[in-house]
Amino acid sequence: MLAFELFMQGLVQGSIYALIAVGLTLVYGLLRILHVAHAGLFTLGGYIGVLVTNATGSLALALLTAMIAVGFVGMALYRFCYQPILDRPPYVALIASIGLFIAMEEIFRIIFGPYGLSYTAPPLQAPIILLGMNLKAAEILTMVGALILIGGLGVLAGRTRTGIAWRATVKDPQMAESFGIDIVKVRYLNFFIGSALAAAAGVMVALLNNLVEPTMGSVPSYKALAIIVLGGLGNVRGTLIASLALGVIESFGTIYLGFLLDRDAIAFAFLILVLMIRPQGLVGRSNG
Amino acid sequence: MVEIIGAYQVSLITTMGISVILALSLNLITGFCGQISLGHAAFIGAGAYGAAMLTTAGWPFAAGLAAGTAIAAVLGLVVGLASLRVRHDFLAITTMGVGFLFLGVVRQQEWLGGEMGISSIPDAGLGKGGYMVLVVLIAAAIALFSVHLKRSWMGYAFDAIADDEDTARMVGVDAARYKLTAFAMGTGLAGLGGGLYAHDVKFIAPDSFGFIESITILSMVVIGGIGPVWGVIVAAAVLSVLPFWFQFIEEYKLLLYGGLLFAVMRFSPGGLAGFVAGFVAKHKRRRAAAP
Amino acid sequence: MTALSNTAGLLEISGVTVRFGGVTALDDVSFAVNEGELLGLIGPNGAGKTTLLRAITGVITPGGGSIRLAGRDITGLPIHARVRLGLGLSQQLVRPLRSMTVIENVALAAGHARTLSPLAALMVRERSAERESALKFLDMVGIAEVADGQPANLPLGTLKRLEVARALALEPRLLLLDEPLAGLNHVEAARMADTIAALNKDGLTVILIEHNLSEVLRVCSRLVVLDNGRRIGEGEPRAVMADATVRAAYLGREAGDAAA
Ligand SMILES: Nc1ncnc2c1ncn2[C@@H]1O[C@H](COP(=O)(O)OP(=O)(O)OP(=O)(O)O)[C@@H](O)[C@H]1O
Ligand SMILES: [Mg+2]
Repeated sequence: MLAFELFMQGLVQGSIYALIAVGLTLVYGLLRILHVAHAGLFTLGGYIGVLVTNATGSLALALLTAMIAVGFVGMALYRFCYQPILDRPPYVALIASIGLFIAMEEIFRIIFGPYGLSYTAPPLQAPIILLGMNLKAAEILTMVGALILIGGLGVLAGRTRTGIAWRATVKDPQMAESFGIDIVKVRYLNFFIGSALAAAAGVMVALLNNLVEPTMGSVPSYKALAIIVLGGLGNVRGTLIASLALGVIESFGTIYLGFLLDRDAIAFAFLILVLMIRPQGLVGRSNG
Repeated sequence: MVEIIGAYQVSLITTMGISVILALSLNLITGFCGQISLGHAAFIGAGAYGAAMLTTAGWPFAAGLAAGTAIAAVLGLVVGLASLRVRHDFLAITTMGVGFLFLGVVRQQEWLGGEMGISSIPDAGLGKGGYMVLVVLIAAAIALFSVHLKRSWMGYAFDAIADDEDTARMVGVDAARYKLTAFAMGTGLAGLGGGLYAHDVKFIAPDSFGFIESITILSMVVIGGIGPVWGVIVAAAVLSVLPFWFQFIEEYKLLLYGGLLFAVMRFSPGGLAGFVAGFVAKHKRRRAAAP
Repeated sequence: MTALSNTAGLLEISGVTVRFGGVTALDDVSFAVNEGELLGLIGPNGAGKTTLLRAITGVITPGGGSIRLAGRDITGLPIHARVRLGLGLSQQLVRPLRSMTVIENVALAAGHARTLSPLAALMVRERSAERESALKFLDMVGIAEVADGQPANLPLGTLKRLEVARALALEPRLLLLDEPLAGLNHVEAARMADTIAALNKDGLTVILIEHNLSEVLRVCSRLVVLDNGRRIGEGEPRAVMADATVRAAYLGREAGDAAA
């Protein structure tokens, strides 16, 4: 039973990773940028979620507001921070992004204070017995919510015109452009969707922990980088697999590897191990 | 020495010197050889822990320092060997992973003090002033070494590797061996800086060597201009003492580093050196244009 | 010429096969290059010529077959090691080091003995001898006047010659040239072809890939023809060019048939 419980907890954590990492891998697939500041948007989502819930009492409204607002912030980041440096060597955007992320965390600390915010009346804390396990409603919402959002993304990418234009651009921007696809629009859309998903993850984590803090993005941020590498940079399906796998591995690893490593290092041990065997990532193409 | 310039200045200069050593050590890897590293603090930590453990166990200061340097260099060589398999973005994330892995392992090791770290590290026995002089001399030696290296054939080959590794190979440069050399030298010197740091502050804990420390050192290199020795020295010296000079900055230190890192990359990716070079060129052009 | 063809091959390519996903770029290609010859490697676009050169230098690893240089199997060696055994490559797509001037690009290659070991390289700062010899090679290919120029500001024809000069500066036993005449005008192309022929006369073995067939026919002593990854012809230039299969590859099926 313990094993099953660890597995489920791993899936909950993995769903969160997935929501964050998908946006990151989308940005990488399109622009070859390691968008570290993405995790700042995750944190921002958490703050908006708590603030709106506390003000209106509606979690649904809070989730929606967070996703839309952060989606727009993501687009602004692209416009003002990344677009002007796209033609520079890749490390330029990476370092700029790290700087941006650190600055964002500090701004959260200065505006909202160092100790974080909580829900005045935390929603969805009721225990639910599922398959003989005691889960919080919030945990179930996280899994189901992630499933719906990512499923929705899959439908968008696979079934709609926008989705087709977007996949074409990821595959070959020049070709897409010559077919009349507006790749600038695709990039904005990409940032909107990725950022909105990160915001959703932020709201959910705030719910799970009943807390948002300025630094809540730090660990997910770097871990999400490890995940998208494991998933084969730019590969959405690989990223989903890697997210869930890492959630579960961490969940077990905390019990069985705790004497050697702490929880947050497991991802990187796994990452380095995989990269040594397959430099192109777990699910990457061989020329990745 | 302390009598002449005051205890406060002595500790300031010591801090500055250690930062210069650390920034120059990363500059060998990232600035000269073009290999981005987001995990430099791991090697600083390896040197600091190595030296501190040994001097605490009774080794003489110099021997501890040397051993810390060697430990960091060996670790760097191992990481370098692993890093040969990956490039660019993959390398950045791999080195970042090494940094987190180092922290994750050290935190769980009781014999390294776990979360609490190592305290009451013995004094180097040189006095505060003497220690400052030692740090400054070492920093100066590394600066001179860097300048020499840049002008030597090793620097030439590094330039080629940083520019385009495949082409470097095409003219017979064994890129792997050169990169390993850069890693070993850079991480060894990081270990030396770490040992000096440990015996300056006399207390180390895993958190002293986290990701933020790696980024702080990287920001010195980046703001200095990624490569030019004087730029990196100025950036390291100024960034390390700004929080001392302006007390209010301490509170906003990370905001400053993060903001600067972003602003430099966004507006002047050549850093300080690039900015000055651009300014000089502009000035010259204006002069030439003037009748 | 006939006297040389009896000596052992300097380069022996046997059964080399390269696949990119579904595309078979080279299919079981074998031939030898004799010491001292100027071999023309020709074929239509996409024939696999560049791929073969990349396999010889080790940029790509063939899926099968072996490559021997002066009797030594070099199939598994890394690029720089092959260069040190005597290969010099001038690439079809120019790859100058853009952070350096033209002469610095060539001097680095001329200093191949200096860069052999990192530690020895650290001990030496003197570069004047290498710069001098670099200037000599730049002069040889006719671009000495832009020695201090930045590659970013130079036209393709100049960069192609920079590639050749850099390959020459390695003092190779076997020079591999991938379309060195591309981007050059009529006069420059003829002069470059003369330079290559002169170097060959002085004893340098050369593989020349070129689409400029008139220059190829003028300077090469023997041809190997690739098409669709296969070797479809080999031998004395005029005989090869008269061959029906070769004509078909170049001119289309009917023309080949008509000629036959
Ligand atoms: N890296 C690669 N990935 C996939 N296919 C490749 C790659 N390099 C070459 N090819 C394919 O292999 C075949 C041979 O290409 P190659 O460049 O060797 O031809 P070539 O004879 O040099 O042609 P050209 O005269 O146009 O330079 C072509 O079909 C090409 O599309
Ligand atoms: Mg070609």
